[in-house]
Amino acid sequence: MRLSLAAMALGATLLAGHGAFAAGARWDGADDLPVNPLPCDGGAGTVVSKAYDGGKAVNAPNMAGKPITLVDVPKLIGIGYFNATSQGMQEAAKELGNVKVTTDGPTEAKIDEQIKFIDNYITRGVNGVLFAANDPVAIAPVLKKALSKGIHVVGYDANSTPDAREWFVNQAEFNGIAKSMIDNMAKEMGENKSFAIVTSTFTTPNQARWIAEMWAYAGKCHAKMKWLETVEAQEDNILSFNQASTLINKYGDQLSGLFGMTSVATPASAEAVTRAKLCGKIAVVGLATPNAMKPYVKTDCVKSVVLWNPVNLGYAAVYVTRAVVDGKLKPGDTSVEAGKLGKLMVVNGSEILLGSPFTYTKENIDQFNF
Amino acid sequence: MSATLTAAAPRRLRFAVSQEWLLAIAILLLFVGVGLYNPRFVASRNLQSILLGNAYVAVAAIGMSMVIISGNIDISVGSLIGVLASVSGGLAVAGVPSVLAWLIPVAIGSAVMAAQGALVAYLGLPSIVVTLGMLSILKGGLISVTNGVWISNLPDNYHLAQWSLFGVVPMPVAFMVVLTIAAAWWMRNTALGRSIYAVGGNAEAARLCGIGRERTLMMVFAVHGAFVGIAAVLFATQLSVIQSTVPSNLELTIITASVVGGVSILGGTGTVVGATLAAVLIAAIGSSLIFVNLSPFWLRAVQGILILVTVLADIYRRRRRGLAR
Repeated sequence: MRLSLAAMALGATLLAGHGAFAAGARWDGADDLPVNPLPCDGGAGTVVSKAYDGGKAVNAPNMAGKPITLVDVPKLIGIGYFNATSQGMQEAAKELGNVKVTTDGPTEAKIDEQIKFIDNYITRGVNGVLFAANDPVAIAPVLKKALSKGIHVVGYDANSTPDAREWFVNQAEFNGIAKSMIDNMAKEMGENKSFAIVTSTFTTPNQARWIAEMWAYAGKCHAKMKWLETVEAQEDNILSFNQASTLINKYGDQLSGLFGMTSVATPASAEAVTRAKLCGKIAVVGLATPNAMKPYVKTDCVKSVVLWNPVNLGYAAVYVTRAVVDGKLKPGDTSVEAGKLGKLMVVNGSEILLGSPFTYTKENIDQFNF
Repeated sequence: MSATLTAAAPRRLRFAVSQEWLLAIAILLLFVGVGLYNPRFVASRNLQSILLGNAYVAVAAIGMSMVIISGNIDISVGSLIGVLASVSGGLAVAGVPSVLAWLIPVAIGSAVMAAQGALVAYLGLPSIVVTLGMLSILKGGLISVTNGVWISNLPDNYHLAQWSLFGVVPMPVAFMVVLTIAAAWWMRNTALGRSIYAVGGNAEAARLCGIGRERTLMMVFAVHGAFVGIAAVLFATQLSVIQSTVPSNLELTIITASVVGGVSILGGTGTVVGATLAAVLIAAIGSSLIFVNLSPFWLRAVQGILILVTVLADIYRRRRRGLAR
C-alpha cells in the first residue's frame, strides 16, 4: 500500500513536471531540416537548380506528332483515388487526340503484381508506361527494362528511383502544402487568432516536414497567427477525436483554429468541433480525402480541405509523356506545357510539379469520390 | 475445503476494497491537482469528454477482469472490438434497424469468445496462445474484407452517444455504470459469479467443491464476449465514421485497466469496480497530459508505472499474507 502511495506521488511529480518550451524553436512536431517557405504572394519561390537525373529511353522510335499508345499501371485499380487519376488521363487523351491510354493494374497494392503487369505490357509493345510505384526500388528493374526497349516511362503519385524513369509528376511539395494550409487558416479564422495542430506523431516524416514548412511560412507571411500546441494522435480516429476535444476543452474561446495533419486527424477534428457545437467559431483546415470530409463540408463546419487534385495529376502525366515523345520536354528544360494546367515547372532535376495544392470546398467536393 | 474458501473471502474483499479506494483517491487528487492548474480541466464539458470517450474501455475491462480472475488472459479483445464495430456499422449502413445493429455484434462477440473459451477449457491450450492467434486472424481478416475503407453515412438514430438516460447521463456512461454495478453484484453474490474466483484461485480445490473448471471457463469467455460486443457498439456509435481497422494497442489499455484496478494477474482476486475506476483514471491522465502540456507519450510511461506498481503491491500483499499465515 505504501508502495502504491509512493507511486502516486511519483506520478503526481511527473504530471507536475511541466514540459519546458524553448522560445523561438519550431513548433512541436516539426523536423529540423532546412525549410524553404514560398513567397507570400503566390510566386514560385526559390528553385534549387539540379541537373537532370532521370533515365533515357534507348533508341525510342520517332513518334513526334503520331498516334501513340500508353499504358497506365497505378498502385492498384478499383479505388476512387486511381479512378480519378485515370479519369484525368482519359481527359488529356481526348484533348490531345493522338494518344490512347489504357489503365490496367493489380487489384491490391502489391509490387510483385505490379511488376508483372508492366512486364506484360513491355512484351505486348506500347509507346509509353505511366506508373505509380508500390515500391520505389523494387519497381526500378522492370522500368529500366522498358527504357532499354525504347519505351518512354513517366511516373506520377509515387516515385521510383530517378534513373528508372524519365520524368515524375510530383503532386505537391511540402512548402506548397504548407502555404495552402496556413493561407486557408488565416483566411478563415483571421490573423490575430490562435490555433493548435493535431498530427500523427512528432516523428512521422511527412507530417514533420509539413509542420516545419508551415512554421516557416507562417513566420514569414502570417506572423501574427499564434500557435498554441501540437498534439499527437497516431492514425487513430477515436484518439484523434479525444485529443481534438481535449484541445477545445483546454483553450476554450482562445482556440480559433485546428489543423489536421493526417487524413484521420482532419475528419476527427471536424467531428470534435461539430460535437462541441463550435462550427464557425473554430476553423478546421487540414489534409484529408474528400469522401471523409463530405459530411463536415456539407454542414459548413469545414470550408477548406487541402490536397492535390488526382484528376489533374493523371492529366498532367499524359501531357508530360506526349511532350517527351514529341521532343518538347528534354533534359535541362525548366518547364513544360500541360494543356489546361498551363506551364508546369521542372523541380528536383527530373520532376514536374503539379502546381499549388487543390482546395476542396463545398462547391467542388461532390465531383470527387475517393 | 469450503472452509478455506470462505476464510479467504473476507481478506480478498478487504484488499479489493483498498485498491478501489486508492483509485478513487487518485482520481480525486488528479482532478483537484490539474483542476487547480487549469480549471477548465474539471469543467463539465471536459469531464463528459473523458467519460464519453472512454466508457467502452471500462465496459471491455469488466469482461477482461473476469477472464483474468479466472486465471486466463485475452489479447484478442482490441481486434475483436475493431471487427465488431465494423460489423455493427456495416449492418446499420445496410439498412438493418439500429437495435439489431447493436445486438448482433454482442451475440457474435459472445460466440467468438465462447469458441476461444472452448479451446482453452477443453483442449487445455494456453489462453495467451489462443487469443494471440485470434488477434492475427481478426486483424488480417478485417483489413482484407474492408480494404481499409471507412464506414460512413451511418443513420442518425444509430449513435448511442446522442441518447441519454433521464436526459442527463449520456448512454455510454450509463452503460458503464450500470454494467459495472451489475457485474460486481453478480460476481460477489451468485454461485456462478463466485465460481470464477474459485477456478482462478485454485482450480483443483474448485473441482473438489463441485465447480466444473471447463464449464466455468466457457461461461467466463462467453460473458466476456458479450461485454466486448457492448464495448464495440459503444466504440462504433461514438463518431459519424467508423475506421475499419483495428484500434492500435487497445488490448493493452484494457488489460492495464483490469490490472491497475486490482485484478491479480495471477488469477483469483480482484473486482470489476476497480477496473472501471482504473479505466477512468487512465482516461483522465490522458486528458490531463494535454492540460499540463506534456507529450501523450507520457501516457504510456504512466500506464507502465501504474501496472508495475500495482503488480508489485499485489506481490507484496501476497507475501505479507503468506507471512501472516
